[in-house]
Amino acid sequence: MVQRLKEVDVVVIGVGMVGSILSKELAAAGYKVVGLERGQTRFTVPEFQSPAIHDELRFDIRKALMQDNTREPVTFRNSSSQTALPVRRWESFLPGTGLGGSMVHWNGQTYRFHATDFQLATHTRERYGKGFLDPDLTIQDWGVTYDELEPHYDRFEYLLGTSGKAGNLHGQVQPGGDPHESPRSREYPTPPQKEHFQGAMFRKAAMGLGYHPFPQPSSNLSQPYTNPEGLKLNTCVFCGFCERYACEHYAKSTPQTFILPVLLANPNFELRTGCQVQRINLDSTKKRATGVTYIDAAGREFEQPASLVITSLFAINNVRMMLLSGIGKPYDPGTGKGVVGRNYAYQTMSSVASFFDEDVIINPFMASGASGTLINDFAGDNFDHSGLGFIGGAFIGAVNTNGRPIQYHPTPPGTPKWGKGWKDAVVKYYNHSVMFSLHGSSMSQRQNYADLDPTYRDAWGQPLLRITFEFPQNDLKMAEYVTARGVEIGKAMGAKQVAGAPRKGPYTTQQYQTTHNTGGTVMGSDPSTSVVNRYLQSWDVPNVFVVGASAYPQNASWNPTGTLGALTYWVADALKNKYLKNPGHLVTA
Amino acid sequence: MKPPNTPHVSRRSFVAGVGAATVLPPATALLTDSAQAAPGAVRPKSAVQASAGQPVYLFFNVAEVQFIEAACERLIPADDSGAGALAAGVPNYLDKQLGGAWGAGERLYCSGPWLPGTASQGYQLPFTPAELFHTALRAINHDFKKRSSRFSDLSADAQDAYLKTLEGGAMDLDGVPSAVFFDMLLRMTVEGFFSDPVYGGNRDMVAWRMIGFPGAYADYYEAIDRHGVKFVREPLSIGEDRHGNVHVHSEIPASIG
Amino acid sequence: MTRINTQGWKGALVMVTVVGSCGIQLSTANAAAAAAKPSPPAPPAAAACQACHGSKGEGMVEGDRPRIAGQAAYYLDKQLRDFASGSRQSAIMSPIAKTLSDADRAKIVVYFASLPMPAALASTAPTTAQVSFGRQLAFEGAEAKHVQACDNCHGPEGSGVTFSGPALAGQLAPYLAAQLKSWQQGSRRNDAGSLMSSVAVRLDDADIAAVTSYYASLGK
Repeated sequence: MVQRLKEVDVVVIGVGMVGSILSKELAAAGYKVVGLERGQTRFTVPEFQSPAIHDELRFDIRKALMQDNTREPVTFRNSSSQTALPVRRWESFLPGTGLGGSMVHWNGQTYRFHATDFQLATHTRERYGKGFLDPDLTIQDWGVTYDELEPHYDRFEYLLGTSGKAGNLHGQVQPGGDPHESPRSREYPTPPQKEHFQGAMFRKAAMGLGYHPFPQPSSNLSQPYTNPEGLKLNTCVFCGFCERYACEHYAKSTPQTFILPVLLANPNFELRTGCQVQRINLDSTKKRATGVTYIDAAGREFEQPASLVITSLFAINNVRMMLLSGIGKPYDPGTGKGVVGRNYAYQTMSSVASFFDEDVIINPFMASGASGTLINDFAGDNFDHSGLGFIGGAFIGAVNTNGRPIQYHPTPPGTPKWGKGWKDAVVKYYNHSVMFSLHGSSMSQRQNYADLDPTYRDAWGQPLLRITFEFPQNDLKMAEYVTARGVEIGKAMGAKQVAGAPRKGPYTTQQYQTTHNTGGTVMGSDPSTSVVNRYLQSWDVPNVFVVGASAYPQNASWNPTGTLGALTYWVADALKNKYLKNPGHLVTA
Repeated sequence: MKPPNTPHVSRRSFVAGVGAATVLPPATALLTDSAQAAPGAVRPKSAVQASAGQPVYLFFNVAEVQFIEAACERLIPADDSGAGALAAGVPNYLDKQLGGAWGAGERLYCSGPWLPGTASQGYQLPFTPAELFHTALRAINHDFKKRSSRFSDLSADAQDAYLKTLEGGAMDLDGVPSAVFFDMLLRMTVEGFFSDPVYGGNRDMVAWRMIGFPGAYADYYEAIDRHGVKFVREPLSIGEDRHGNVHVHSEIPASIG
Repeated sequence: MTRINTQGWKGALVMVTVVGSCGIQLSTANAAAAAAKPSPPAPPAAAACQACHGSKGEGMVEGDRPRIAGQAAYYLDKQLRDFASGSRQSAIMSPIAKTLSDADRAKIVVYFASLPMPAALASTAPTTAQVSFGRQLAFEGAEAKHVQACDNCHGPEGSGVTFSGPALAGQLAPYLAAQLKSWQQGSRRNDAGSLMSSVAVRLDDADIAAVTSYYASLGK
């Protein structure tokens, strides 16, 4: 028995970072907004307080803050020739849930993509020629430029209070920052966090090799900050419990610290938690959404009518929502036709481990999620790829975030996996190792996509999302190249032993790599290769906006959150100033 | 510059048993319970847990305990770098995890059909961790019974050889591939060694002391400036009160909601 | 092998070398260690401290003089240095701290840190409601005020965490309240990263009375 509720102006599916910001903008503009969140409320006090939050077993290993995989996992296969099977325990990627979403437990690494990333297809053709790309790759331009997004990047960084050092102000390269970055209109809102010992070692070695190290931009703040919403954040104390944990100090920029108190105080906004949205409902023309259907925590079914539907779920869940709702043509990798699920991508992660003598004391447990030092000399298209046989790159940095011992106990290659030899190596190297992360881009290819699984279902009886993904050869070549560069830096640091571990196929769901799943509801200028237009508005159903990293046509060398924040404000602008004033298609194809 | 040897904080007198699960003292007890606080002591480290002797095993039977204790001690043996899995209470950790919600299948998607997958697809068996351990251990103990021997009676080298056989996947343990069992045993042993003592392992924080991990209270705002200087501090547990007693809560949910 | 420059903690190196027992490290020298062995005799320089802070460093109700016995050595050392340099202001402590030699300061600090931390001195009895609310602030914080739990940095039940927050348990309530007020008003500024002033500006008088009476009650 479905209960039909009173119509509202806007329904927002998923009250994470995107949902919080869009809800706040629209509620403040006078619209009646209902936010539907499947998880529960949680706030810094009491849910994020120490010492309980500093529990590696509970939060790192058991994934206490993550999406409930017993009710809603995904299925996975490397290729269409295999049968996809459920990811019965999360490892490779860890989708969040609950009020504030994944940003509650992110690392705070806050980057901008490069201007060339937004026109990657055009730029690559122009610089390297038409035949340079592997024909399987399906990289595309975004339909929006860096210059259009710049004010929104700025707004997002000032909302968060991000700590960093600009490398390019209005086209002028600034000392101390990243000289490769695209121009900013102003400095970061707070200065960089303190550098830890391994960051300092990396910086010296990288400079010695002629590279350009700079402090990692961090939304774990370097000093107290009051943001434009009037909310105050505190200084981060480098506790080393950042990713997978929530911050007890009000020092990590999360919706709880940078916007939710303002949103929740606005009577135009109503938050409903424990609500699992089943689908976006369409009218008989299938070209207009009438609202959504959801099931609450007590199992009761509701229909919430709305004039505008925004799906602001985690990327892969946005794709699933569109598929379950029948909006847009699902992608078929055999024919290459269709768009929903197309261009799924991820992140290509490699690492370099450097081992030192006992007199080099690292103290790895002193770190924030983003207090590292890194170089962009081998990221994106910041270097000449002629003759290399791949596109893309990685940032390389001493960006280790913690020393939590269940997972962090580096040992050199050849160390036994258990026994006395293992134990002795753990003791010998725990405080004397430096781990580099090489955070590589992920190109889309025609074989990689997402669709609905034919067999496995969630707790509500709906088909699970099925992910078909393998690393493109392009990306594996990139990984080899950047890892070799990373090993050189490790040696220049004077390590006794340096071991590079470039990413190799097959892609496995059994090792953590990042939760940077992108694509599937790609943005663009051409409806035959995109699901949404440059304002993230559905080509098919103009009163549906799909806002998430599912919009990315491919993934770049940096963490996706900063760019998603910029897109969120870009979309907020389009909604308030264009769409809501005159509903309809914002772009004619 | 090479630092002189740091004073070895030796806790050889740590008590073998861990206290029964309890909770932090209620507020009124802090005001009135003078019996609890030794006058003048800030955080005396001598009296840590309640009872001496063996842990109380609730999940493992006697034969299983014999295997588990011996096997865990081979995976992380006691040596001159410090205590091994047994003294650290790792078998107790396994017992409480397997006997609780985790063992029963918390955080495990348990719908079929079950098909054998590729390595990239991960665990695809219907066994919950508790079922997997009971099944595998029954098969292992049966295997030893047939040979009229016991894993715990073998020499250390022979035990290692047997564990390597399991690790290599040579055996089918009544439907549990031995490599899957070994992998889970090893993971949980490392967890039990390095997790917070509230979970019943890492007794007296021996593993944290061994590597110098300071534990659950973690503010390094000033210390982070001291590049290259060893940081030595008593490790602190989540379940520790101001007298240094660690209150063990073995059943902590794997979700915050 | 890389030559590593171990700058940055030279003061503590001096302090610890004088002690002689702990080597070059950032280490605790707290009452726990002291409980196992008898305290060293009081150095002559400690007499001046005992005059106001009590013969056993237990503090004094008159004048709201804080207990210093059993407080972490690194913290006592930092405060004395800050009084001497002007990073922390006190009409009474600044002149005294300025006259201390490095060697005397090291001896004083180690001595008082080694003493058992005594039970709190009698002072104004708090109400049960105050202590209860204070405990909530200390253990959990207050979301509406954007204030985290004090124990996050000050340790389980305010027993102190080396190189993080000093011990608060059993400290004189009026002294604690005066410190919170001075963080709030900006007259005390020697908190790295503005960690204390960020908290103090969000507390009102009722909060301060509650949390200080709670911590004071923990000495027993």
